Amino acid sequence: MGVFAWRNLLTRPMRTLLALIGLSIPILGVLGLFSLSDGLRNMVGDTLSQIEGVIVLRENTPSPVASTLSIGVVDKIRAVPGVRAVAPEVWGIAPNIEGQGMLMRAAGNLMSKKGAGSIWDQPVISGQDYPTHKDLKSAVFPRALKERGEGRFLDERDVGKSSIVISRKIARNFPNDKGEPRKVGDRLLVGEEDCEIVGIYETGSMLLDVVVVMDIQTARRILKMPVETVSSIYVEAQTPPGYQAVCAAIEAAEPGVSARSMNEVQANFGMLMGQVDKVLMMIVSLALLVGVVGIVNTMLMSTTERFVEFGVLRTNGWSQANVLGLVTLESAYLGLLAGVSGCVLAWLGTLVANQFVGGGLRLGVSPFSLLLGLGLSVATGVLGGLYPAWRAARMVPMEAIRLGSH
Amino acid sequence: MIDVVDVWKSYKSGTRTLDALRGVSCTIEKGRFAFIVGPSGSGKSTLLYLLGAVDRPSRGRILVEGRDLTAMSEAEQNDYRRDTVGFIFQSFNLISNLSAVENVLIPFMPRGVTAEQRARAVDLLKRVGLGDRLDHHPYQLSGGEQQRVAIARALVKQPLVVLADEPTGELDSKTGDEIYRILRSLQESLETTLVVVTHDRRFITPQDLVLEIQDGLLADDAEPAAGFATGLHAAD
Ligand SMILES: Nc1ncnc2c1ncn2[C@@H]1O[C@H](COP(=O)(O)OP(=O)(O)O)[C@@H](O)[C@H]1O
Ligand SMILES: [Mg+2]
Repeated sequence: MGVFAWRNLLTRPMRTLLALIGLSIPILGVLGLFSLSDGLRNMVGDTLSQIEGVIVLRENTPSPVASTLSIGVVDKIRAVPGVRAVAPEVWGIAPNIEGQGMLMRAAGNLMSKKGAGSIWDQPVISGQDYPTHKDLKSAVFPRALKERGEGRFLDERDVGKSSIVISRKIARNFPNDKGEPRKVGDRLLVGEEDCEIVGIYETGSMLLDVVVVMDIQTARRILKMPVETVSSIYVEAQTPPGYQAVCAAIEAAEPGVSARSMNEVQANFGMLMGQVDKVLMMIVSLALLVGVVGIVNTMLMSTTERFVEFGVLRTNGWSQANVLGLVTLESAYLGLLAGVSGCVLAWLGTLVANQFVGGGLRLGVSPFSLLLGLGLSVATGVLGGLYPAWRAARMVPMEAIRLGSH
Repeated sequence: MIDVVDVWKSYKSGTRTLDALRGVSCTIEKGRFAFIVGPSGSGKSTLLYLLGAVDRPSRGRILVEGRDLTAMSEAEQNDYRRDTVGFIFQSFNLISNLSAVENVLIPFMPRGVTAEQRARAVDLLKRVGLGDRLDHHPYQLSGGEQQRVAIARALVKQPLVVLADEPTGELDSKTGDEIYRILRSLQESLETTLVVVTHDRRFITPQDLVLEIQDGLLADDAEPAAGFATGLHAAD
């Protein structure tokens, strides 16, 4: 019976193909969207889990790059009870590095077949105040350098100097004249400042691996920021009262700033992704609905043509359930085929997409989502086949025979 | 033995009711070759398919080997059609996606075909002269060959009764002769009861039972001799 159902599908290859495309596209979409949301979750999760402290920003600014605070805020926060260390930072989008703007570099990369760069690769400057940063226990970059990097991190020798610590990715993205990655001891032109690379770190997070770390005064000079301002303030709390309480205390002491502990950001991000997933589910349901309609249409056409055939089967002892089973099996096969092609397309799609997205955003289709895709498409096939199957089974054999004998 | 007792069959089309059969009673003994003859629209096919439990009469009873078809449940009727009765149609009605052997095995397909059943199907196809056509599909077979596959399909279940509705209606007379020759020889060896609807009386022999039907009623003189006699005049 399985072979029979299979052949019935293959008899009309064009129609089967169209139905297949109609269902495999939604499946492809489902897998693609889930892969994207997974990728984002992993990327941001990777980053957030490396940062433990509290980040103080101007209220309603999305990131340190967009925030400015007066230097006076630093002392006010230092006075908040429960605060252990307070480290001001300056952040900004890096001006041309080695004379190359981002667009120029992306275009150049395309020409030289190095693969397209992306906006994720835009370098960002972080200026750190050594006297306060040295007290931090949870600083990200020194740890990343010690664990997986080379050279040394910034210290008192670098205050006011143009020493920089860059990521391995930046070292690769801005090679020297011979095309080799920059090494510790090499020089790098950041804006108009000729800087010396003293260390190279690697966090593995694509959001962090774009940061050029330098002294806060040098950063102000390059970014042309006034001396009395900082972008953000990194705060570590004492174990009691803990981060939650310290955040609240900081916001109470200094209106106009927001203090976010990374736990909180992570929770917020989780909630955001939850919302995104809900929207995804809605899109998915719509797409699958379209798939079901396509299957219903295909199977209705196919069963209407074969009424006489069903009559013949019934006169040979096939029960209504047998006919129902045959037609449902056909549409289940259709769903399975669509699922397999959708999954293969999605897998190929992520391979291609990863070539272009680059960095830490890695798209993938997990075995779970492949199974989900297959399951969904088979379910869609069965669902779409039920009505046509029921119609075929319910038909009176007598009338079908009459149709066939005239 | 088939017993038809005062069978009525009405079709409702809109507000009008059409009586296709109006109180038909007859008996067909086991192993008989019976013909149902009559003008077009007289109710021949209707009676035939009632015998096959494809439809239910509006009134009356039909007994096959003592079992009342009209009292059967849906499931019992399915079993009856699968095991007890074989159908042969005017337009062959083979399934185009199945080969000759697979077409013969249709009755067994839902429950899984056994090796014994497959051997029987092959044997029957050989007996109707299609031993070298087992894996051919209907479109690769002539009309006469298709009808021979249909005969094998009707007989593979070793039925008590075979019902044929104008089995030579779409075949030329030479091929028609061939089909009747096969039907008769198989019936003799298998001892099946055969009921054939036709309006071609050429194939009726004196030993056959002839049921004359007109306007949904059996003619009173439905005797073998009379049937054969009328057969001498009518031909097309
Ligand atoms: N399903 C049906 N609905 C309405 N009328 C029908 C139906 N089936 C058969 N009839 C009518 O019943 C009568 C007998 O039909 P049928 O048994 O096919 O005649 P025959 O086979 O002798 O030509 C015809 O008038 C036909 O139109
Ligand atoms: Mg008829």
